Amino acid sequence: MNPVFVIMEKEVRQIVSSRQTMISTILFVIIFAMASAPVTLVGEGNPVFLLDQVCFYLVLVLGIFTSYIFTGQVFLKEKQDGIVETLLCTPLSVREIWLGKVLGVTVPATILAYGAAALITAVAATLIDSPLFPSPPVLFHIIVVVPAFISAVSGLIGFAHLLLGMRDIQILNIGIIFGIIFLLTLTRSLLGPGFDVTWAVVWGSLLVAVLLLAIPFQFNRYINRERIVTTLPE
Amino acid sequence: MAVIEASGLSKSFDKKVVISGISLSVERGEIFGFLGQNGAGKTTTIRILLGLLAPTQGSARVLGSDLMHDDRVRGRVGVLLAHNGLYPRLTARENLVYYGRLYGCRDADRRAEELLFLVGLTDAADVAAGDLSTGMQRKIGIARAIFHNPEILFLDEPSSGLDPEAQHMVRALILNLAREQTITIFLSSHHLDEVQRVCTHVAILHSGKILVHDSVAHLTAGSGRTMYEVGLTDPGEGEKASEILTGLSGVGEVSVELNRIAMVLSGVAPHEVVGALVAGGVRVDEARHRAHSLEEIYLTVLQEAEAAV
Repeated sequence: MNPVFVIMEKEVRQIVSSRQTMISTILFVIIFAMASAPVTLVGEGNPVFLLDQVCFYLVLVLGIFTSYIFTGQVFLKEKQDGIVETLLCTPLSVREIWLGKVLGVTVPATILAYGAAALITAVAATLIDSPLFPSPPVLFHIIVVVPAFISAVSGLIGFAHLLLGMRDIQILNIGIIFGIIFLLTLTRSLLGPGFDVTWAVVWGSLLVAVLLLAIPFQFNRYINRERIVTTLPE
Repeated sequence: MAVIEASGLSKSFDKKVVISGISLSVERGEIFGFLGQNGAGKTTTIRILLGLLAPTQGSARVLGSDLMHDDRVRGRVGVLLAHNGLYPRLTARENLVYYGRLYGCRDADRRAEELLFLVGLTDAADVAAGDLSTGMQRKIGIARAIFHNPEILFLDEPSSGLDPEAQHMVRALILNLAREQTITIFLSSHHLDEVQRVCTHVAILHSGKILVHDSVAHLTAGSGRTMYEVGLTDPGEGEKASEILTGLSGVGEVSVELNRIAMVLSGVAPHEVVGALVAGGVRVDEARHRAHSLEEIYLTVLQEAEAAV
């Protein structure tokens, strides 16, 4: 098996076996998904239109948040414990290590995001007592764009965790939380209540995710072993 | 053939010089002991050799390559650093298999069983690494480091945190790896006794510079000087014996400690020394050649280095 997938498999196993993180993340996803589903009953609009809005926005938010939590487990914990130094002595390049970890975060975070989408849809359908499915652009958004954003967020944060010292990472983490809240609030207010999730919006979102993912992929060459080792905690 | 070579290695962090002008050479099959106080620059040197740090000056080659730029050759090197590199939530077996697969080992499960048996932890195979004792984690760390049958093994303080029995096991394992599997071992340790027992060659590092780089046999033999020790029946005769010995030509560095007198002989036979003592009325209990311990050499070298500053 390609060593990138060996790392990915290990990270997935580690995340799943981390009971505390998994339980709190699953609870977070369930609570937000259940609380958001009744939105489909609000107003006189088409339920599919309202479901599209909720799924487009909330599944992405939950995916990004889950990605942020898991990335800390995968990158930061390993750096704090010093395990990463042993990993750097293996025949893998820094980019392969980074990629394996990003994929390891993407898989469980995507499964949880899919679960959130399924839960929102199921609860909404139950509440209106009628079969309900998101529109094709939103389905594409959930299946393709959300995992792309999850990878991009994990890639960017993981890149920063490898690059920075512990103190800088603490500051960064606070900045990221506020940054995510600010961006999502801004996006929500810009989109407005009548916002329609079209194919153009979905493709645009995918482009943004790919561009975000390309940043750490390109700049990975600037992370070398020395940079990681010299930013390990004493 | 040298498998580890360093030439004029220097490393500075923010203008602070950590190591300076380090040159060393380790031949295939050697067990090389790397000694030095905390902060002497051992870890920095090892990190440079492993390609984790780039030297400010000089060059380092392992198996003919600079490990910083050669991923393939890193696969022929085993490493046990201060941290065991184990994931606490994975079991001992899972940790071994994971690293084995990263190194591209086929049949990693079978190899893991083999190594767990070798380090005596077959029963702990399915215990999470984080739940194992420090000593057991160290043993798994060693098993991890040799999983892929490396040609060179870097061990940083392999016995730290181990009980005497486990230390003995680690020493036996190191000797076994070097003798039967002809693995070259680069061993950084504070355990001078351990280094003397297992290493064939040694370098002593002080304030970022190598002070001594020699074979253990040559160093402990006193670099050609004959160390001799005489045991007296009566400790009260030590002063008298010292006076006799000081008057003999070819006898130097006489030191008395209770009923034992140590000296360095050059150009005089041991039986002549014993004869002179007996003739002077000193009752001799025993007499024997005495090798320097690595601890004595280490302390002497450090004292000389500090006195020279």
